[in-house]
Amino acid sequence: MTTPQNKSNKKTSSVEMAVLAILAVVFLVVSLLAQFIVKDADGHYYFTTGADLRGSLGVILAAGLTLVMYSFLYRDNALFKIAENLYVGVALGYMVITITWREALRPEVYDKFFNAPTWGAFREALLYRSVPVILGVLLITRLSRKHGWISRYSYALIIGYGAGVGIPLTTHSFILKQLYAGVAPLQDAIVGKTSPALFSWPWFADVAYPVFLTALVVVGTVAVLFYFFYSIEHKRTGRTFSQVGIFFLMVSFGASFGYTVMGRVSLLIGRVQFLLYEWLKIPK
Amino acid sequence: MSSLPLQPRRIDLSRWVIYGLVCLAVLLPYVIYVEMPFTPSKEAKGLYDQLEALKKGDHVLLAFDFDPASQAELRPMGRALLLHCFRKGVIPVVMTFWPNGLNMDKEIIEKTAPEAGKMWSREFKNGRDYVFLGFRPGDTSFILLMGENLKTAFDKDYYQNPTQKLPGLTDVNTLKDMKLVVDLAAGATVQAWIAWGSDRFGFPLGAGTTAVSAPDMYPFLQSRQVVGLLGGLRGAADYEVLLNVNGDGRLGMQAQSFTHLLLVGLILFANVVVFIRWIRGGKD
Repeated sequence: MTTPQNKSNKKTSSVEMAVLAILAVVFLVVSLLAQFIVKDADGHYYFTTGADLRGSLGVILAAGLTLVMYSFLYRDNALFKIAENLYVGVALGYMVITITWREALRPEVYDKFFNAPTWGAFREALLYRSVPVILGVLLITRLSRKHGWISRYSYALIIGYGAGVGIPLTTHSFILKQLYAGVAPLQDAIVGKTSPALFSWPWFADVAYPVFLTALVVVGTVAVLFYFFYSIEHKRTGRTFSQVGIFFLMVSFGASFGYTVMGRVSLLIGRVQFLLYEWLKIPK
Repeated sequence: MSSLPLQPRRIDLSRWVIYGLVCLAVLLPYVIYVEMPFTPSKEAKGLYDQLEALKKGDHVLLAFDFDPASQAELRPMGRALLLHCFRKGVIPVVMTFWPNGLNMDKEIIEKTAPEAGKMWSREFKNGRDYVFLGFRPGDTSFILLMGENLKTAFDKDYYQNPTQKLPGLTDVNTLKDMKLVVDLAAGATVQAWIAWGSDRFGFPLGAGTTAVSAPDMYPFLQSRQVVGLLGGLRGAADYEVLLNVNGDGRLGMQAQSFTHLLLVGLILFANVVVFIRWIRGGKD
């Protein structure tokens, strides 16, 4: 049924199509001018495909896709969806074919077995690589319901190796060393090499301030842990202490949010720099 | 069946105003250059000082663990670190655990080496003055292998030259021979380098991360498991200032500062509006 509002939508859609067509033409003209029109020493302009035609076409394609991705700011549209799916497809294809085969399977497996330069190299490959290759192939049996159990041998090795190597290293690096860092300023303050006069400027800078920061870290850690400790009811002092934990959490979220905003703005700046310096070729 | 009346299309003007202002804040510094002063952070200085203290001919491992999605923040860091190595005569050895960034890493090195050559009137030759090892799968296990024998881990460099014969790697056998390792990470590889690398083999580790991941690195700075940190575009700009070179980091920081000012202004404005509504007794 055609209503006046449907007509209005149709009209808007036609306007959008017209604007899109104009933008596409403008994009192509600007791309051609920026990438292929060059000014010579006499001030004459001439057309050249340059030394790197593939590079120029790549820049135009990348610029076009960048602008299409930003069209989402206006609203979700078919071009955005095409670009989005193109990205996923290209990334997947690149990962599977170029990376998995060219950078991993071919040099680490195929070349070692089938292009071994000497008999000794082949024997070495057989000795050190055949078991990992078989275990890797066994992982593919996960795809079959009937034979999927075979892959457990590979997973057992992966988990066993990962836990055996990983647990001591991560405990040492992420728990013990962090605990030590938490108390080191206190240790320095108590048994430090220098003992500045009490309440002097060096005492404030080298003893009091690090100890204060350490105390802040300790209070923050305990308060946040207490906030997530539900075995006892948070009443009176406990409630106040858990609110201190919330305060520390909020500061932490604020810092993370600030950094995240900075990161997202940096991505926009990166794209703007690409459009200005590589697509439009504006001198820096 | 009667169709539901279509809602007239609502255009949220405030959204468009914010988009427009952000767009202006990002673009304006590229049109009107305004120098926004900033002092390099002590975290960036820590990394700079560590590299500055090295002698000519020492080796620095640069792990470019990022892909094009994070290049806006991490690529300027990579360039600045390479320039610093070239200026000091230190040999940068570049590798990656992120295969999607492989071609980009190659481009960064191949563009920076001639650029450094022009800056300091020297020729920087691949294999002698810098080494690009490329990608190998394995992540954490591979770090352990590199710690045992680097040339077994990488029997060939990216250009298929045997690493045994590379003059740039003559004195290097394991990770312990690296005077500094810097991980430029878009993911969680810094933690892997800490646990499986620096804590186990005892080399100093620096980190460059995206702004989003930067807050997670501060505990490791405090425990001195990381000697210096470059966080996001700001970190790249800090390093360029310390190195006294121009680059995308410094250039981008102008736009970044403008956008931050705008966002702070918008947040304050929104809070003032909410506060006024609250005083007037409004529910919204």
